[in-house]
Amino acid sequence: MSTPTTSTPSPTPASRLRTGAGTFLANNGALVGLVALCLALFIATPNFLTGPNLLNIGIQASTIAVLAFGMTFVIVAGGIDLSVGSVAALSAMASAWVYSAAGLPGGLSLLAGLATGAALGAISGIAIAFGRLPSFIATLAMLSVARGLTLVLSDGRPIATSPAVSFLGGTLFGIPVPILVLAVAGLVAAFILNRTVVGRSMYAVGGNAEAARLSGIPVKRVLVTVFALAGVYAALAGMLLAGRLNSAQPQAAAGYELDAIAAVVIGGASLAGGVGRVSGTLVGALILAVIRNGLNLLNVSSFWQQVVIGLVIAVAVGIDVLRRKNTRH
Amino acid sequence: MKFSTRGRLTTAVTISLALVATTAACGRDGDDPQGGDAAGQSVTLSLSTLNNPFFVDVRDGAQAAADELGVDLEVVDAQNDSTTQANQIANAVTGGADGVVINPVDSDAAGAAVQPALATDLPVVGVDRAVEGADITSLVSSDNVAGGRQAAEALAAAIGEEGTVIVLQGVAGTSASRDRGQGFADGIAEFGDIEVVATQTANFDRAQALDVATNLLQSHPDTVGIFAENDEMALGALQALGDRAGDDVMVVGFDGTDDGLAAVEAGTLVATIAQQPTELGRQAVEVMSRVLAGEAVDAEIPVPVQTVTTENVGDFLQ
Amino acid sequence: MSTPSADAPLLTLENVSKSFGPVRVIDDVTVHVRRGHVQVLLGENGAGKSTLIKMMSGIYQPDGGRILVDGGPVVLDGVRAAESHGIATIHQELNLVPTMSVAENVLMGRLPSRAGLLDKRAMRTTARRALDRIGLDVDVDQPVGELGVARQQLVEIAKALSLDARMLILDEPTAALTHGEIDALFGVVEDLRADGVGMVFISHHLEEIARIGDDVSVLRDGSLVAEVPASTDEDELVRHMVGRDIADHHPRRREYTGPDEVLLDVQHLSRHGVVDDISFQVRAGEVLGIAGLVGAGRTELLRAVAGADPYDAGTVTVRGGALPAKDVGSAIAAGVGHVPEDRKSQGLVLGASVNENIGYATLRSTARLGLVDRPGQRRRAQDVADRLRIRMRDIDQTARDLSGGNQQKIVFARWVLAGSQVLLLDEPTRGVDVGARVEIYEFINAITADGGAVVMVSSDLPEVLGMSDRILVMSGGHVAGELEGEDATEDRVMALAVRDVDRDAEDHSEGTSA
Repeated sequence: MSTPTTSTPSPTPASRLRTGAGTFLANNGALVGLVALCLALFIATPNFLTGPNLLNIGIQASTIAVLAFGMTFVIVAGGIDLSVGSVAALSAMASAWVYSAAGLPGGLSLLAGLATGAALGAISGIAIAFGRLPSFIATLAMLSVARGLTLVLSDGRPIATSPAVSFLGGTLFGIPVPILVLAVAGLVAAFILNRTVVGRSMYAVGGNAEAARLSGIPVKRVLVTVFALAGVYAALAGMLLAGRLNSAQPQAAAGYELDAIAAVVIGGASLAGGVGRVSGTLVGALILAVIRNGLNLLNVSSFWQQVVIGLVIAVAVGIDVLRRKNTRH
Repeated sequence: MKFSTRGRLTTAVTISLALVATTAACGRDGDDPQGGDAAGQSVTLSLSTLNNPFFVDVRDGAQAAADELGVDLEVVDAQNDSTTQANQIANAVTGGADGVVINPVDSDAAGAAVQPALATDLPVVGVDRAVEGADITSLVSSDNVAGGRQAAEALAAAIGEEGTVIVLQGVAGTSASRDRGQGFADGIAEFGDIEVVATQTANFDRAQALDVATNLLQSHPDTVGIFAENDEMALGALQALGDRAGDDVMVVGFDGTDDGLAAVEAGTLVATIAQQPTELGRQAVEVMSRVLAGEAVDAEIPVPVQTVTTENVGDFLQ
Repeated sequence: MSTPSADAPLLTLENVSKSFGPVRVIDDVTVHVRRGHVQVLLGENGAGKSTLIKMMSGIYQPDGGRILVDGGPVVLDGVRAAESHGIATIHQELNLVPTMSVAENVLMGRLPSRAGLLDKRAMRTTARRALDRIGLDVDVDQPVGELGVARQQLVEIAKALSLDARMLILDEPTAALTHGEIDALFGVVEDLRADGVGMVFISHHLEEIARIGDDVSVLRDGSLVAEVPASTDEDELVRHMVGRDIADHHPRRREYTGPDEVLLDVQHLSRHGVVDDISFQVRAGEVLGIAGLVGAGRTELLRAVAGADPYDAGTVTVRGGALPAKDVGSAIAAGVGHVPEDRKSQGLVLGASVNENIGYATLRSTARLGLVDRPGQRRRAQDVADRLRIRMRDIDQTARDLSGGNQQKIVFARWVLAGSQVLLLDEPTRGVDVGARVEIYEFINAITADGGAVVMVSSDLPEVLGMSDRILVMSGGHVAGELEGEDATEDRVMALAVRDVDRDAEDHSEGTSA
């Protein structure tokens, strides 16, 4: 209530300009950070800004980015999903298993993986929406269950992937497929969030679930959809990872859920729900990939790498909090 | 979740039964003096993880030996968590195990973890990794330092004893990574024309090795050799190299896993240092059964480590 | 100007100004707060009252002018600084930890300790003394969250006084209180006035000003437009506030001439312990008011009809079609619109834009193949926002940044867009200033003129009496009586609302209010 409401509202050009600049910063703070990081690395090492290395970063960002796209749905809807790493591993393993053990054709194995992810996500979603478990707890349980099932299915050994899944790790017309997958998955996620009824409902549910419910939005159905979508994206990420290695690993993607959450939050989403954009998430995932790539190029000791990554996450989110505070008035 | 009266009753009965069973097991221990046949005795094998094919092989070897010898082998998985491992060993002791085989998650932490077993005079056999700070009955392990040295020699031979080399490290701070890295560094130092230009961790993980190797090859395009501290990372490096593996860039791994041996056979992996996980597991159980039968055993039992190349890979493939 | 003297005001804001960026929100305003006086700040939302309060309590610093305490200039550079001068603020959103005890809340931040341990006895005694001063009789060990809003507010006042406050700022203290509770609060204010405590009082209820105030500072658009005694005629106060005449505060008009039709028919609706066998009908063109004390089950009744809460027995029929229980979607499809009690926690997604908030109820019905009709939605939302005269920068402004009245209009706009014929309004003008309030009343007139039906729950008796065609009085979860418009007076409504509670107390010897 810092601005007076007059009977005929007419914002001054100056205030319009100020809000314009504020909006740009608010929407692109992480992007500014990414550009700064790239500049620093460009100055520090000649190997950074080369075509092949940029492709590498794209490939290396793909798994986390796809996981994080799925996580964006969840965080926008006001939840959290700790199970995406395990779900990625189990979906990839299921896909490899139906191909090598059950003998299903390659294309179907891909679908089997996606279906596994969707089912696992939907189960978490049902537990959250209808069982009223906090999403933190429901997905923590799923993290353990899915990882355990991965080990059961694989007996602790890697299983070779189908050609269809391996294709996800290859190239198409000279472009690495993971980058294509990243792009398509991101566009689809942005489309869902911005254009579809269920996507807009996610923002409402995350912003104020009670208000959404009283406005006739089917909150429970939206929640199940959200977690099922996160499951599908996790499955895609899992198969992407498996495709790059030509094998589904039992320990694949362990701990990736935290990277995915970090990417979403660095990208400007609020863990309180209701706020978040796919483009921000992409920038967040790229920041993480660029840091890892840069630290390798600079041959920084592995002990220090973890310190640096932790600090970057804290600084990125800290800057974001400050920025929001300052653009309030 | 609510406990109904019946649920509570069932729980109470279950706990009582478990207590009775435990007491009976303890009683059996008391009746059965040390010495005699190991058959029918129960041994707990605590593995650091079953999340890695190497340790799955250790388990398989141990299980096979136990089946032959009639030992009742209980396998538990510490999931790479030292605390879990300590709990599991404590549980095994109170659960009436006659002996404990431990594959430590962490050598130092394992010293404390085995104390409950040592305190009740149960024999403790270490496998693969040392147990520091505790006087255990015997240690069955491969010599990782020697293995690292062998890897250096194999890599040097493959690249003509000159050129730029990078190293993919395991999980920072683990004894396997320390020993293999140390052995490799010592070994490679003897070749004056070989330069190690980068040492980066990929946490023993194939996917991470793919990314790290890609990045390192970017900054060091003249690389001719890669040493990976385990086969999983070596396979990740092969993935990063693509067609260049085995031609332009030589990769040496460590462990001799199935996938690693297959890559040696295919000619993409120059060499791997074959630990023999099945043999480690088998020998650990055999040693334990000899102890339980009252025999004396050596404090250290080395299991041979071998350099596997295309020449001898056939001997290792099952 | 003022020179230090024995009877200098407790606090003076002297020619203060404040700008946020290019926007001047306070322009050269002077306000005095005197010992034993209640200074009323009056103005529409956005007139600058909040900013003035924040200057007094040290949250904002003025850009121009100065602040005097006891006649001497001071800098209030934080809440602590204000508190050290004896200035305490009772905010609308109370500053209490609901799960902690009354005593702990009163002494929050300065709990007595002995040898590093909490001294519970000293804590209780000190808290008890603080509560006694305002005659508040509650168990000091009870969690604050178990008290009603009114008592929580009194706990907060006790807390402020125990901090040696000489001046209290009461920011809309009566907004969430019932009549009886307001009487109790005003009793406390009288006592404090006799004790020489200076007070700043903010309220949108004009009749309260004459009851409790001494002087009134009227603000409009950040400027002081009038300083008048509190006994000033209400119409004149309103004219000062809005800069124009508002002839009728409750301009109810029945203009519907279409066929007589029952739109909403509720029969024998019951929910255990909340509402008990409630039946009523609302016809096209009619406003049914629902009066009663807080806890009488009015909100619960409305929520059950709207499909927000389940019920055990009874039927809800709209235009002859039965609605399934606890199904908001079906109710909306049948033409029911629900404006909930608390717009911030139940009505709006505060972080979302005006456009989004207006469109939630029609998101699904206007979509094609699951895709949102964005341009159409935007056009329709803009159209409705213009019609309801929602004052906003543009339709993409976040709902959080709008004033209470405009936020409430967003919720109304949602149902206009959905074409709702049956509107269930729960405290529709709570925290809404006079200007916007009249606009909401005119909107109610427009809806009923078009053949719609309105059910309005309100604790504001003049509003219920002025705007309803019929009044249902609830008490203890059931209908205590029904009054036709002409027969309804404040006395008769209150008699019904209270009488029944007494009877229930005798019948069951335990309270039945929820």
